[in-house]
Amino acid sequence: MLDFINPYYLQIGSFILINILLAVSVYVPLSSGQLSLGSAGFMGIGAYTSALLTINFDLPIFLGVLAGACLAGILGIIVGLPSLRLTGVYLAIATLGLGEVIRVIFVNWESLTRGSIGLTGVPQIGRELLNLVRGFGFEPSMIGLKNNQFVFLLVFILLFLIVLATIWFVVRQQNSRVGRSFSSIQMDEKAAESMGINIMYFKVLSFAQGAFLAGLAGALFAHVMGYISPSDFSYHRAVEILIFTVFGGSEVIIGSVFGAIFLTLMPELLRFVSEYRYIIYGIMLVILMAVRPQGILDIHLLGRFKGIKRSKGGMR
Amino acid sequence: MVLDIKNVSKNFGGIHALKNVSFSIKQGEIYGLIGPNGAGKTTMFNLITNIFEPSSGDIIFDSQTITGLKSHKITEKGICRTYQNIRLFSQMTALKNVMVGGHSRSSSGVFSSVFRTKKQREEEIQLNQKAEDLLELVGLLEHKDTLAENLAYGQQRRLEIARAMASNPKLLLLDEPAAGMNEKETDSLYDLIKMIQSKGITVLIIEHDMPLVMKLCDRITVLNFGEKLAEGTPTEIQNNEAVIEAYLGKEEEYESA
Repeated sequence: MLDFINPYYLQIGSFILINILLAVSVYVPLSSGQLSLGSAGFMGIGAYTSALLTINFDLPIFLGVLAGACLAGILGIIVGLPSLRLTGVYLAIATLGLGEVIRVIFVNWESLTRGSIGLTGVPQIGRELLNLVRGFGFEPSMIGLKNNQFVFLLVFILLFLIVLATIWFVVRQQNSRVGRSFSSIQMDEKAAESMGINIMYFKVLSFAQGAFLAGLAGALFAHVMGYISPSDFSYHRAVEILIFTVFGGSEVIIGSVFGAIFLTLMPELLRFVSEYRYIIYGIMLVILMAVRPQGILDIHLLGRFKGIKRSKGGMR
Repeated sequence: MVLDIKNVSKNFGGIHALKNVSFSIKQGEIYGLIGPNGAGKTTMFNLITNIFEPSSGDIIFDSQTITGLKSHKITEKGICRTYQNIRLFSQMTALKNVMVGGHSRSSSGVFSSVFRTKKQREEEIQLNQKAEDLLELVGLLEHKDTLAENLAYGQQRRLEIARAMASNPKLLLLDEPAAGMNEKETDSLYDLIKMIQSKGITVLIIEHDMPLVMKLCDRITVLNFGEKLAEGTPTEIQNNEAVIEAYLGKEEEYESA
C-alpha cells in the first residue's frame, strides 16, 4: 500500500528543492545586477557550520541550520562591502575566487573539518523528525507507511515548505520599494543613485540575501545527505547553480525554479542513454544559449501566459 | 539663494572642463545654462549632483555646503535631475519609474515590505497616487503600464521629468529636455516647466533651443570653454556682444534659426 511514496523519487524531489534554493540564491543578487559565483562557497559555509555545530555541540538541527545560514549571510556582507565596487564579469571572477578560498580552507583545516575526507555522521533531519513524532506516540505504520518512506516524505515536505516561504519572501520583496530599488540598480546604476537610492546598501543587501539563501541550502544539504566533503562545494557546483538560473531565465524568479527542476531531473530522466546523457545535457545548453540567451522563461513569455489568462477569466 | 556656485573648477587630467565659475540661483526662478557643445554645462550638472567632485570651489544648496556629499544624499536634500541622453529604467513601466523617483521620500525596508505592514501599505498607496498624479501632469497617465523603452522619444523625456519630480525636489536640473522634440512637443514642454515653476520649484535648465530658453528663463549664464562668459536676463544675453560672437554666431544666423 502507498507504494508510490518511493524514497528514490522523494530523494530526487528533495535535491530539486535544495537546488531551487540555490538557484534563487543566484537570482536575488542578479535582480540587482550582481553576478555572483560565490554560491557554492556560501553553501559550504552553511553546510560546515551547521554540521560542526550539531556534531560537536549537539545543537538541535534547527539552530544549526539557522546559524549556518546567518554566518553565510554575515560573510556575504563582509565580502560584499569591498567587492561590490566590482561589476559584471569582474565580480563573477572575484566571487568565484572567494568560493575556491573557502573550499581550500575546508580541505586544509584538517583538525576541524577532517580535510578532503569530509564530515560523516552529520545528524539527519529525517531521523530527527521521526524521533520527534515518535515522542508524540505516533508510528509511521499507523498511516500504512514504512519508516524510510515516512522519513523521506517528511524531509520532502519540510523542504517544500522552506522553498515556498523563500519564494514568497522574494516575490513580496520584489513588489515593493526594496525590489524596485534592486531592479533600478540593475537597469541603470547611475540613474538609480540620482533618484536617491543608496546603491551600496541595496547591492550589499541583495548579495547578503543570496549568501544567506546559499548557506541555508548548504546546511539543509548537509542534514539531508548526512555526509559532506569539500568537493561538494567546488566551482563545478558554482557553475551548476549559475546554469539553473541562466537556463531557466534569470529575469524572473520562476525561471530559477524551472531551471533547477528541469536540470536536476534531466540526468535522471536520461538514465536510459547512460553515458551519453551529459553530452545531451551539454548540447542542450549550447543550443539554448545560442537561441535564447535570456533563458527559457522571460517577462514577455510570462506576459503572454498572463494575457491568455486575462482574456479567458478576466482576472488581473 | 537656493543654489550658490562659488568659484567652481573641474579638471580632467590636463583639461580644464570648468574654470572658476560662479553663479547663484534665486528661489523660484527658471535659470538657464547655455553655451556651445563642450562648454562644460553637463559637467556643471555632474558636479552639482556629485557624480564628480569639483577640483576646487564650493557648491552651496539651501545655505549648506553639498560639495562631496554622496549623490543619493543630495537627492534627499532636494536636488534631482534628468539626463541629456535619457536614462530611464527601460524595462520598468512608466508608473514604476516614477515610483522609483519617490524612493527618497519613502522609507519601507525589507521587513515591512515582506510582511506588508499597515504603514507600508499606506505608503505604497500614497506613492502610487503621487506617481499617477505626476504622470497626469506630464500627460502620460494613459501610458502608465507601458514599459519605458516602448514610449516615444518625447514621452520618455517627459517621463524623466515626472520621475525626477517624484523626489519632491526644491531644485530641478533639466539637461536638454527639448532635444529631439518637435515644435508642438516643445510648446507643451514650455507649459510643463512653467507649471513646475508655479509649484514653487526652482529650475536649472541646460538647453540648445534658443527660442525656448529666451522665452522660458528668468536669468541665464553663458559658458564657453569652461569659463563664464556672461550672465543676465534673456534680453541682456541676446544683446551681449561677446555672447553673440562666441555662441550665437552672426546675428542673421540666429534670426533664421
